[in-house]
Amino acid sequence: MQNIVFGIVTGSTLAVATIGFAMVYRTENFLNIAHAQMMALGGFIGVVLVDSYGWNIFAAGAVTVVSVGALGVVVAAVFFRPVRHLGGTVLLFTSIGVSLMLYAVIIALFSTQARFYPVGFGGRYEIAGVNVLTADLVIVGLAFASIIALQVFLNGTGLGRAVRATASNGELARVRGVPVGRVSNTIWFISSAFGAMAGVMIGVLSSVNAEIGWHHILTVLAAAVLGGLRSISGVIVAGLLLGIVMDVSVLYIPSAYRPVVAFGVLVAVLVLRPEGLLAVQRRKEAAVT
Amino acid sequence: MTNPVFWVGVLTLALIYGSLAMVLNVESGWGGMWDLGVAGLLASGAYCYIILGIDDPDLGTRFVPGLPMWLAWPLAAAFTGLVALAIALPSLRLRREYFLITTLAFAEIIRQIAVIQADLTRGTTGFSSLDRPFDTLVEPRDYNYVLLGIVAFAALVVYLITRRIGTSAYGRTLRAARDNEALALALGKRVNRMRIKTFVVAGVLIGAIAPLYLFYIRAITPQLFAPGITFTIWTALVIGGIGSIRGGLVGAVVLIVFTEAVGLIEVDPQYINILVSIEPFLVGLLLVLVLRFRPDGLISERNAFGTRAGRRARRVPA
Amino acid sequence: MELVLDGVRKVFGGVVAVADVSAVIPQDQVTALIGPNGAGKTTLFNAVTGFDPPDQGTITFGGRRINGLPPWRVAELGLIRTFQTPVGFTTLTVRESMLAAATPWFMETPRGAFGLGPGFGRKGRKLERDAEIRTGEIAAELGLEDLLDVRTDELSAGDRKLLEFARQLMAQPKMLLLDEPAAAVAPANIGRLSQLVRRLCDERGLGSLIIDHNLSFLMQIADEVHVLDQGVLIASGPPEAIAADPEVMRVYLGEQAAEGAGP
Repeated sequence: MQNIVFGIVTGSTLAVATIGFAMVYRTENFLNIAHAQMMALGGFIGVVLVDSYGWNIFAAGAVTVVSVGALGVVVAAVFFRPVRHLGGTVLLFTSIGVSLMLYAVIIALFSTQARFYPVGFGGRYEIAGVNVLTADLVIVGLAFASIIALQVFLNGTGLGRAVRATASNGELARVRGVPVGRVSNTIWFISSAFGAMAGVMIGVLSSVNAEIGWHHILTVLAAAVLGGLRSISGVIVAGLLLGIVMDVSVLYIPSAYRPVVAFGVLVAVLVLRPEGLLAVQRRKEAAVT
Repeated sequence: MTNPVFWVGVLTLALIYGSLAMVLNVESGWGGMWDLGVAGLLASGAYCYIILGIDDPDLGTRFVPGLPMWLAWPLAAAFTGLVALAIALPSLRLRREYFLITTLAFAEIIRQIAVIQADLTRGTTGFSSLDRPFDTLVEPRDYNYVLLGIVAFAALVVYLITRRIGTSAYGRTLRAARDNEALALALGKRVNRMRIKTFVVAGVLIGAIAPLYLFYIRAITPQLFAPGITFTIWTALVIGGIGSIRGGLVGAVVLIVFTEAVGLIEVDPQYINILVSIEPFLVGLLLVLVLRFRPDGLISERNAFGTRAGRRARRVPA
Repeated sequence: MELVLDGVRKVFGGVVAVADVSAVIPQDQVTALIGPNGAGKTTLFNAVTGFDPPDQGTITFGGRRINGLPPWRVAELGLIRTFQTPVGFTTLTVRESMLAAATPWFMETPRGAFGLGPGFGRKGRKLERDAEIRTGEIAAELGLEDLLDVRTDELSAGDRKLLEFARQLMAQPKMLLLDEPAAAVAPANIGRLSQLVRRLCDERGLGSLIIDHNLSFLMQIADEVHVLDQGVLIASGPPEAIAADPEVMRVYLGEQAAEGAGP
């Protein structure tokens, strides 16, 4: 039971991390490997603001999310848009190049030392024999609040509807006169901002180091593929499931194998159901996301 | 310039990466299999070689086979071929991005196993001070030249093997199936079997190159086989020109000389992080620039790099 | 060697694309399968060639059951299809494409690349030489001899269509399945095309099954015509009889009338 709670917390951060990745895949049609470096960058900016400048964690988180979101827009404009016409493979390899460059920037700015968020939310509750930290509640709450906020934005505003239209049929949206540039910038902003938020959450839960981008790209890929790569709710369910599976597996096999479990699940699902675990849901979601 | 031994080392590393890139070209450039799991195969070969050669019970590993080098080396290549087969059988049923993700995931699984199975691999401690071929014959400080000679010979052999594959009927059909899988099937080509065999051959070659990499690094830890090395080899191939026979070699030499030359810059220790970061930055920048301004690479096979994924997606025409 | 369809049925998401089609396609003649767009012609083709196996029914070729076999196995048995849009092996030259089609499987292995295995030595060299000679002959027959070293994606659409025939002939089929060979061919060249197909098949004693919706083209070339409408085989017989069949006329003229009267 305790591990299921851990799993829900891990899964919430994973869902937040994966949503941005899936949005870019849906609209720009490529696997953006650099997404995980945005997470690492977010984790580091947050820790520096809190640890070195003594900011409040929520203020630091907000500034981090907005600044990394803005950086995502710039990176897309400088690196991805110019090669967009060359197709998904060139974009994928460009994103590997961008990953390496961001990774280098992270090392140059923040060194290779691991850093910890010096924040404690105090309280620990015991609910039906399960320990729950306030930090866990804050993270899960924030994850779901931000996902709901994203849904409200996508369904309730003109720009959000334009994003959805582009996601379901880019060509059609262009023909219908959707403001392509603004929509693309919005998508990159949201994607990178969610990545940064996940980075801060992971930092608060454990620590931040220069390698976390490389460590997390596979779990993000796993969650995205499990969710069928195309639907937001699929990604959320997949993220939670994967988090729970990883943390519950610790009960049965050595905890060192935790990451291997995620990749193992990924490989198994790819081989058994190449369209993703929740592919059936995808059809229903097509109109929503 | 400066120390010749330094440049001997750079050239050695460039030829090792070049050999790996030429092998990668067979499976990816001609075979159309976008493999992001090179690091996993390299790790399989390297660890198999090291473990078979363990002759010191004090290292605390479960097995102490103590096989001689000349026996451990081919066994490591064969073992890597088997690992490649195990990866290929499920993965090759998948297409495009999914194949890419699966191979990347397999490579990470292999690396994590190397971390976890410390009774075999000594985990994150790894092994150091391993024996190298002919190292009793020369003074230790001259050994770099011997290693360069061995690596250059290996690169030549890999070049001849891959050139033979590229110019044979086998290579031709690989390229044909890459261009249009449905048509190849309609002509009776056993596309899937051919790709599995190709993946295994690439595995054997990578496994055979792996010990050379160890001779150069002189130590082994799981961290060596992080996805970064796969991306570096891919970068070398993309820079050199994917699909061309020599592209991988040329790209690796350009890339490694370019990035290692940075190591010559002397800096104040307080800026050491910036120095460390220059190499990945340059690799990334080169990759981005080549893709943008010369997507066919330095040596072009006149293959349009960008449209291939789209073509391969077509299976049953409308 | 005849191709026999018995009760072949294919359903896509509840829609019956091919409904219990039975037919015998003999090897010594040109058989045409006609029908308006969406009649299920290409679906039937994909079912026969193993690309998209049928849900029900059996397909045999030369008495051997072929449904359920993978596409490459069907092709090895001598049933070679063409594609509606002749994309070809884009980066291969005409010569490479033709040679690739003729190469036996045992030379297309890593062992084969080094002259080992069944293609070893004199036998392998003879096979290669024979394939090169046949490449020259077939290219000359189709007027491709000056284009042998041109890459497929640099050919004109017409030459690519010719390469489609040349390449599939190199595979030494027992029966050719041609998927809309007249599509995108200028009306003035249709006559030449039908003569070419006729000649290629007659000279080799090659059976062929052609699907198209260009009636005049098929009537010139076919010995026997089957008409498919909405997945159902509605008529079979010699071209003259089919041309006079009121049901066929209704399907075709009805379609044209509807087009004429459209908004």
